[in-house]
Amino acid sequence: MNYRFIVRPNLCTGCRTCELACSFTHSIDNIRGITRIYPLDGGFKDLWVPVTCLQCEDPACIKSCLVDALRLNPETGAIELNQDICVHCMACVAACPFGCSIFDKQHDIIVKCDLCGGDPACAHFCPTKALEWKPIEVKKKKVAI
Amino acid sequence: MVNLTINGRIVQAKEGEMLLTVLRREKIDVPALCHHEAVEPFGACRLCTVEITKEDWNGYSNYVTSCLYPVEEGLIVSTHSPKVNELRKTILDLFLARHPNSPEIRQLAADYGVFKTSYETVVDGNNCILCAICTRICDTMGFHAISTVGRGHGKEVAPPLHQVPPDCVGCLACALNCPTHYIEYTFDNNYLTIWDKKFELMVCSRCGKKTITKEFAEYLSKHRDIPFSYFEICDECHRKELAATMGQITSWEREA
Repeated sequence: MNYRFIVRPNLCTGCRTCELACSFTHSIDNIRGITRIYPLDGGFKDLWVPVTCLQCEDPACIKSCLVDALRLNPETGAIELNQDICVHCMACVAACPFGCSIFDKQHDIIVKCDLCGGDPACAHFCPTKALEWKPIEVKKKKVAI
Repeated sequence: MVNLTINGRIVQAKEGEMLLTVLRREKIDVPALCHHEAVEPFGACRLCTVEITKEDWNGYSNYVTSCLYPVEEGLIVSTHSPKVNELRKTILDLFLARHPNSPEIRQLAADYGVFKTSYETVVDGNNCILCAICTRICDTMGFHAISTVGRGHGKEVAPPLHQVPPDCVGCLACALNCPTHYIEYTFDNNYLTIWDKKFELMVCSRCGKKTITKEFAEYLSKHRDIPFSYFEICDECHRKELAATMGQITSWEREA
C-alpha cells in the first residue's frame, strides 16, 4: 500500500519532539545523529512549520550528485543517500533549494530524511498529529461507458 | 544467487558481485585502503587478500585480492587464516618502510603486530600510498583534473604537467577520501587552496556562511541543470525561507 508523509503546520505547537525522535532514531554507535526535521517559526505568531525533505519529483540533490549516491527508493518514495558511495563533496547540501541535505559535523557525513525506511519516527511521536504517515486514499475515477 | 562458504559459514551472494562487497556486508573486518564503493575496484593496496579454495581443488588454495574477485559457486574463503595474516603482515611491513610517518598505516600495521619495518626505510617518503582513490573519484565525477604520473619510484599523483589544474573545481572529494590524508588544502577567509589553485567560496548572501566553491557551483548549474540562484544562500537560510513560505500559506488558511 502507498503511504504518504503529511505535514500540517497549523497543528504544530513547536514542541520539538520530532527533532528528538529523529535524532535518537538516527544515532550511530550510541552517538546522537543530527536531526533531519526542523520545526521553525516562519515569522508568524503562534505558527510553527516542521521543515523536512519534501522528496521532490525533480530533485536537485539527485541531479547534483556526481557519483550516484542519492537514489529514489521506489517502495517508500524517499530519496536515500548511500553512505558508502558518498564522497562528501557537499554538492547536494549546496544544491537543495529547501536546505534539507544536512552536514552532520559529529559523524562527518551528509544526511537527509529517508522516511526511516518507510516508518517515520517523527510521525509516531508527534503529539498533535501535525506529522502523519498515512495510506493514500485512491479515489475511483468515474468512467463514462 | 551463488552459495559460498566464508570462514566456515554459508553465505549467499548475487552473481557478479565482488568478494569484498560480500565480506563487508557480512561485517567481516578485512582491511582495505584503496576500496571505495563509488569507484571501480582497483587492487592497489593488496590488503584485502584472502585465501580461496574449492572442494575439487585437491587441497590447493589460491590468494586473491577480494575486491577484484567475483563470487563463484562453491567457493571456500578464509579471511584470517595464519597464511593470509602472514601475507598481510608482509604487505604492511612494506607499507611501513615506504610511509613510516603515516599514522593510519602505523595504526593498521600495529593491529597486525607489525611495529617496526624489517626493510630499509625510504628517507624522503611521503604519505601517498598510490591507491589512486583520488584520481578515480575525480574521473568518476567527470573532472579528470588529476592523475597518476610517472612510473616506478617516480610515480605520484599530480595535476597535468605539475601545473595548476585547469579542470579542478575544488570539490575536495580527492582530499576528503584520501585514506592517509596526504592531499593538502587550506581555507583562508573566503578562499580555498588545493593543488596550488585558489578558489573563491560561495558566501551566503543572508548569513555569510561559506558553502562550496564558485567554480563547483558554476559547473553544477551548467552541466546538471540546477539554477545558479540555489547556490546563493546556505542550507539554513533555505530552510528559513521554506518555513516563511509555508507559514504564509498556513496563515492565509487560518484567516479564511
